Amino acid sequence: MKRSKRFEALEKRPVNQDGFVSEWPEVGLIAMNSPFDPKPSIKIENGVVTELDGKARADFDMLDSFIADHAIVLENAEEAMAVDSLEMARKLVDINVSRAEILRLSLSMTPAKLTEVLGYMTVLEMMMGVTKMRARISPANQAHVTNVKDSMVQIACDAAEGAYRGFNEMETTVGIARYAPFNAMGILVGAQVGRPGTMTQCAVEEATELVMGMRGFTSYAETISVYGTEPVFIDGDDTPYSKAFLASCYASRGMKMRFTSGSGSEVQMGFAEGKSMLYLEARCLYVTKGAGVQGTQNGSVSCVGVPAGVPSGIREILAENLLAMMLGLECASSNDQTFTHSDLRRCARTLMQLVPGTDYICSGYSSTPNYDNMFAGSNWDAEDYDDWCVIQRDLKVDGGLRPVKEEDVVRVRNKAARAIQGLFREMGLPEITDEEVECATYANGSQDMPNRNVVEDLKAIEEMMAKRVTGVDFIKALHRAGFDDVAESVFNMMKQRVAGDYLHTSSIFDQDFHVFSGVNAANDYHGPMTGYQISEERWNELKTLPNAMRPEDF
Amino acid sequence: MQIDEARLKEIIKKVLTENLAAAAAPAADAPAAAPAPAAAGEVFTKDTPCNLKVTEVGEAQKGTVANEVVIGLGPAFGTKQTRTIIQIPHDRVLREVMAGIEEEGLSCRIIKVYHTSDVSFIAHTAAKYSGSGIGIGIQSKGTTVIHQKDLAPLANLELFPQAPLIDLDTFRQIGKNAAKYAKGESPTPVPVRNDQMARPKYQAISALLHIKETELTDRNKKPQTLKVEFL
Amino acid sequence: MNQDELTRLVNDVLKSLSASGVSVAPAAAPAAGTKVTKENYPLADKMGDKLLSPTGKKFSDMKIEQIYDGTLTAEDLRIAPETLEMQAQVSESAGNAAFATNLRRAAELIAVPDDRLLEIYNALRPYRSTKEELIAIAEELEGQYNAITSAKLVREAVEVYEKRDRLRKD
Repeated sequence: MKRSKRFEALEKRPVNQDGFVSEWPEVGLIAMNSPFDPKPSIKIENGVVTELDGKARADFDMLDSFIADHAIVLENAEEAMAVDSLEMARKLVDINVSRAEILRLSLSMTPAKLTEVLGYMTVLEMMMGVTKMRARISPANQAHVTNVKDSMVQIACDAAEGAYRGFNEMETTVGIARYAPFNAMGILVGAQVGRPGTMTQCAVEEATELVMGMRGFTSYAETISVYGTEPVFIDGDDTPYSKAFLASCYASRGMKMRFTSGSGSEVQMGFAEGKSMLYLEARCLYVTKGAGVQGTQNGSVSCVGVPAGVPSGIREILAENLLAMMLGLECASSNDQTFTHSDLRRCARTLMQLVPGTDYICSGYSSTPNYDNMFAGSNWDAEDYDDWCVIQRDLKVDGGLRPVKEEDVVRVRNKAARAIQGLFREMGLPEITDEEVECATYANGSQDMPNRNVVEDLKAIEEMMAKRVTGVDFIKALHRAGFDDVAESVFNMMKQRVAGDYLHTSSIFDQDFHVFSGVNAANDYHGPMTGYQISEERWNELKTLPNAMRPEDF
Repeated sequence: MQIDEARLKEIIKKVLTENLAAAAAPAADAPAAAPAPAAAGEVFTKDTPCNLKVTEVGEAQKGTVANEVVIGLGPAFGTKQTRTIIQIPHDRVLREVMAGIEEEGLSCRIIKVYHTSDVSFIAHTAAKYSGSGIGIGIQSKGTTVIHQKDLAPLANLELFPQAPLIDLDTFRQIGKNAAKYAKGESPTPVPVRNDQMARPKYQAISALLHIKETELTDRNKKPQTLKVEFL
Repeated sequence: MNQDELTRLVNDVLKSLSASGVSVAPAAAPAAGTKVTKENYPLADKMGDKLLSPTGKKFSDMKIEQIYDGTLTAEDLRIAPETLEMQAQVSESAGNAAFATNLRRAAELIAVPDDRLLEIYNALRPYRSTKEELIAIAEELEGQYNAITSAKLVREAVEVYEKRDRLRKD
């Protein structure tokens, strides 16, 4: 065939590097609106659910049992289930129906019911729903802070810069698993330098993650995965019951935590049981709710290539975020892992959460160049910082970040590098050299960093963990190193565990460690000029680009 | 809505199988010659023929000789699926892995695993059937693991999780390293490549291929010895 | 959770509060016999002088200098069962009963040492335990730690694991 030059040009576009597949509903390769999803139903006898979404109690699998016994408010379930699904969809976009009224009904509906409700909605209508249903009144954002060399100095600097730019939460992980404690220390110190009150976590294997939390290396946890079918749950080496117990373990140590789930994981692992991705994600979220967890990180997350490959997949991702909010859960709405070669697609996908605002729009946004992102890449990275700020300014939306000046960023990065250097020196850990401090201060990514002696670091980590070092040791060492203000922030973060205020839904801290959550800063959106309004002060911050030309300069 | 679900399933399967078969069939005028040797930069397409015939010749037996490596194949390998996710024909995959093993002076046996489609479990099964205790598991889409029988199923000696990045040269090195493990050596692991853009390009297709392979699993069917012919 | 159980829990907490020397009827805090509500939240800001660590130290008295001079330790920077019960009440008054249940389970688990807690979690994972082993854990939680709701969760797991064939077979 003689080739069309137009088609040859189109073929070269980034979007045509992406993989697309057509739907296959009977095996679950369908985003939402599947003809094979169960029809909503509930039967309650003597306070016990005897039928859920068309299945009798005798036929319940493990997830059905857990959901039926823990996740649904039964008192008004019959009333709620009697509401027509289309009518419920309309209530979601009706500014005259309050968030509380939606929750009164949605918390008593079943997974298939909420799946059906969302099936009636366009993305625009769902964005209206998110505007109203988000738990916390103000949106926020989360960063990933990692690098391929596991340099804790670079982590401290990128964390400091990220916190300074506005992220309320930051998450690290590892290249080499045994590096986790150093990476957790780097992100903790850096975050407190950049902006006191920024929460940090380190995503690693579940038991290690809990231990680091117990010892004050981290302030919250997020990567507690749940799945939408029993075989996949079992392949993930857990059950709803073990995960519910784990959730209570965290709270018993005064630590905030959320579960993680997302569409595509079940179909990716070959056991979707012929249900749509949205229905299976609904089951994950009901397990989360039933476990009594305050929130979720969802929106496909690491399997995003699957929903993104089928029709209506990006719509489905927004639907799962909204579904989480309809269960009253904090929603860290993904927008993280790389899913496309196309800048247009990655931006369009993010507008779904950025415009209405979620508890954490990205979970997270890579604070490094993409090559350093150890979560297999992110939809947004450090080299997009200016684009993000300009988009906020263009649309007058608050995506959690602010434009910053180079000299200020260099200053906080340098302080973070020196603080972690001092902490290591005072704790007798392997030296952080002045060269590392200098490189990390000015680095874009790990390609600008010298190598560390990995064997020596790993040995020191083993010894440190055997000595059962805690956050209190960090506070003392930072004090001895002359970083009293950083020590104070680390102390305040640990002290918050005694009070437990930040365990609640959608909590964040301001720089004075005042907590703002769904309890004392609940979203009250009910139409134009209500809910979150960008203050004049905040708008000045958002709109002031360092490189914008000012009329008075001419 | 009253639909006979079984009937519907049948139709969908039929349509899909026919479409895939059409896509997989070599072009009508393609030459039936033997494939060219593994030249660097060789490009495979959905039209590249797969010149492989696999025949089950009875239940696999556990090996007794220490100088063998067992290759365990996913349920669809060489039959319902004939190419990896990047269109490498399965005959070329097997040739490279076998050549790698033979270069190290060892022999190999090939089995087809049916009770699972999980690459770790396939590889672990191969290792348990191997006289040397070393096995290689290969999913039809190309994901590969080198395993040792005394390790936990979800552990491994070497894991190549990103099928789109496994080329012929890597398959040959996998064969070589497996043979070296079988000889009691500690080879340098085959370099694993990482590409953040593999997900956008292949994740959905990977799910599709894995589902199709998983559909062929049979929890009660024991591993089968395979006779392999390169056509 | 039924009303009786709730009342019992509240009474338990009030008892333990007065036992630890906390007066339960100051100006900012709710009167004795009433619950903490979302109006009292954040507790750190509004009733920091009523929050005690499990070691008996007052939240509002905790200062960084005490870390430097060693009078405040990592053991002191922990949450107490009474505080988690108050947070559970806050959660209920904010309409989140499921979260309150989790916090009450957590309150019971404070007494379980870190290592044992991890072991119990692992025992609850699929195919790890026999029926008898899980029942023994439930009994341990009840008998040794008075962890009634946590034990109930374990017993429920036993029933479901048995039905779904997820118990370890020896």
